[in-house]
Amino acid sequence: TASREQLRVRYGHIIVFLQKGPLVLVSASKSHQSELQLRSELLHVYHQIVSMLTQASINRIFQCRKNYDLRRLLFGSERVLDALLDVMETEAGFLLSAVQCLPLAPSTRDTISQILQKAITPNLVLSILLYNGQLVSIVQEKMVIEDARLKSTDLHLLLNLIRASSAFQTGEIWTPICLPCFNPDCYFYTYVAYLDPPDCTICLVLLSTDKDAFYAVAECKRKIEEGVRTHNALQCISKVQLCQVCHVGVAELRHFLFKPLDVPDHHSQLPQFTSPEVEAPYSTEEKRIYLMDLYWHLHSRIHSTLRPIKLLYHATQRETLLALVTGKFEMYACFSPLVTKSTAIGAVTKLLRWIKKEEDCLFIRSPPKYSTTPPEARGFSNSRVQTNKTLFGTI
Amino acid sequence: MLMISPRMASGMQEKQYTPSLLSFFIYNPKFGPREGEEEKKILFYHPSEVEKNEKIRNVGLCEAIVQFTRTFCPTKPAKSLHTQKNRQFFHEPEENFWMVMVVRNPMIEKPSKDGKPATIEYQEEEILDSVYGAVLRQCYSMYKLFNGTFSRAFEAGGVELLRQKLEKFFYRYLQTLHLQSCDLLDVFGGISFFPLDKMTYLKIQSFVNRVEESLSLVKYTAFLYNDQLIWSGLEQDDMRILYKYLTTSLFPRHTEPELAGRDSPLRPEVAGNLLHYGRFLTGPANLKDPEAKFRFPRIFVNTEDSYEELHLIVYKAMSAAVCFMINASVELTREFCEQLDALVGPQLTLLASDICEQYNINRRISGPEKEPQFKFIYFNHMNLAEKSTIHMRKTASVSLTSVHPDLMKILGDINCDFARVDEDEEIIVKAMTDYWVVGKKSDQRELYVILNQKNANLIEVNEEVKRLCATQFNNIFFLD
Repeated sequence: TASREQLRVRYGHIIVFLQKGPLVLVSASKSHQSELQLRSELLHVYHQIVSMLTQASINRIFQCRKNYDLRRLLFGSERVLDALLDVMETEAGFLLSAVQCLPLAPSTRDTISQILQKAITPNLVLSILLYNGQLVSIVQEKMVIEDARLKSTDLHLLLNLIRASSAFQTGEIWTPICLPCFNPDCYFYTYVAYLDPPDCTICLVLLSTDKDAFYAVAECKRKIEEGVRTHNALQCISKVQLCQVCHVGVAELRHFLFKPLDVPDHHSQLPQFTSPEVEAPYSTEEKRIYLMDLYWHLHSRIHSTLRPIKLLYHATQRETLLALVTGKFEMYACFSPLVTKSTAIGAVTKLLRWIKKEEDCLFIRSPPKYSTTPPEARGFSNSRVQTNKTLFGTI
Repeated sequence: MLMISPRMASGMQEKQYTPSLLSFFIYNPKFGPREGEEEKKILFYHPSEVEKNEKIRNVGLCEAIVQFTRTFCPTKPAKSLHTQKNRQFFHEPEENFWMVMVVRNPMIEKPSKDGKPATIEYQEEEILDSVYGAVLRQCYSMYKLFNGTFSRAFEAGGVELLRQKLEKFFYRYLQTLHLQSCDLLDVFGGISFFPLDKMTYLKIQSFVNRVEESLSLVKYTAFLYNDQLIWSGLEQDDMRILYKYLTTSLFPRHTEPELAGRDSPLRPEVAGNLLHYGRFLTGPANLKDPEAKFRFPRIFVNTEDSYEELHLIVYKAMSAAVCFMINASVELTREFCEQLDALVGPQLTLLASDICEQYNINRRISGPEKEPQFKFIYFNHMNLAEKSTIHMRKTASVSLTSVHPDLMKILGDINCDFARVDEDEEIIVKAMTDYWVVGKKSDQRELYVILNQKNANLIEVNEEVKRLCATQFNNIFFLD
């Protein structure tokens, strides 16, 4: 039998199978997602498992013992996978393979980035600051970027892992995490701490390749804390006004997703998107899932493998949807059902104009870098695989 | 079926294979529930040369899939199975009787290069479930039209009779399936109606009434002109499958003699004083020969309630064709046929030329056809009326379309989106080739328009379609 199979059941249930190495993943869904989209969700679940165990471990375990019950190693991590399934239903980042930044004045962001850039230690490869899950700043090691770019999937899985483990709320955490798209066979050692206890909204994540570097990395955190206090950065962050759809100036526009595509490759950016806060009539959890489901469907039509299209306009009794892809961007917009076609098309122009005006705040254009790896230690294909380790242990 | 793709590179070309039928089988798990009895479940299997154990395995797999999917939705089991190389479609037309059609996915064979063998790329997402699911359901409908239900055959003569009937019908019918040219029209399974003015319609009505009065044996009548339906006394579902049979099988077989020249030997023998041009398409080919044997095909209608078996008499004069359906328990004699011929022949001949004349007058009045400018497909779920200016010819073998197959598939995608909710909707798509496709659904009617206006924007496209709706569809579609 083929390694990929899907069953479609009458009236919209789809059952999808995905085989990755020794694992078979199955998904049963009633949503409007296509088989390809469901398969990519299964792939995310697989990658999240890899982020906790590494692919090399999984393959080796099953090579030795074909009947091994992987639940033994995954014990305690069900909430991570549950959280992943939930967040894939409501967050557009998975759909667009992109991350969302906190809208921040460029000067503030630059100040914070410089603080992160200066707080380094050998073998530190990634420094990330987040506010409520949105990216404030990300600084990457120069050599690492040249070897292999950080993918948005890895970031999403990393954030999900952190978010789903409530142990991370207090104190500092030092834990191995694998970044599956970057390198599925080895661990990074991750330092996580919140800079604003007890609110715990501003999260610092530092990744190192050195398992024994806890104290050195904790020292980086201390330096960052000091820098952030000096510049009053925490206040700036928490006072930030999030995007609201009314800022665009189109009355019937209810929500949108916008992802720029014309990013020159040498900027080595993470793919990013922007989207306003979700408001009525989609403010409940159920309605948020419903809205995302609409976007999933638009996306699958626009990016269909065999018959992709440039524009899709869908007017229903409940809302009117517009999806558009060009060489420069892709966007998905949701309007009230009473919108006229000319208003909808006009909205595209207004949105582009607004994005252009705000783009320095909405996107991180050139992520800063630092250099911490001595030249001879380049290359992360040497795996440092751990088989006996505790997940989410606090130090 | 093999088509050479226009993509050629230095003499080596890619070969594009269209979807084709891999296998088709019918089974009932209740007929062989115990281990060792699996072969008894299989009622029909194509291709028959397949080894017995493989047949059993394939049927077993289908059973397992149906069971598995029932755990998620007990009332609505599996409809299709997608794998890399093929698609399987499942249909349970009667309780416990399952029909499965396996279609090979379209594929591209890339030629061998630098010593590497030729590679095959399967296009898994290409074919539409809605289209081939409809084709499978139609296989059952066509079988049932000529053979009645599976259960009745089983009741009358057990598994053996059922197997015989299935073999006899499907062996031939499967050869007529042209899976590479199935599209949205197969989803609709609609009927093309002939546009008529009120007077002519009334003439036809009164003709039908007169004939039904004089020939009291006639239970149902249907009147067609030029492969299009004008009037039918049958239930919709029965008429739609009968219509498909008439237009794709019976009528095409009988067109040649009519087009033949006056002195051609193909010209049918007519009565000495040339009273009329009427003749039987089913039944006696030559009434003058007393020795010739004849029989009428039998059809089964109203299978859900009254379950009637009828003789199907199809009688034609010029472009007009009438179907008379008579209870099969009655024996139809030569005398009866002669009586029918004498009664119907002259009236139908007159009526046919009346219709032709009236049609030409109407066309002259309404002016030059505006239709050809717009490529559209229209379907009305309530009366099954369908109209397409995209399909140029519909015969048993092929349905030629004047648009790129990818655009037809986009139409299919839009139709699937419409099918999800039972509300008025509108979908507009701009394809990669800059063609625009507009789909409108309003009140049980669907309209699909393809516009070749590469530089137009959404507003302009909308205006064009509004214009089409105003002239052709009298503002049925209200959404702006």
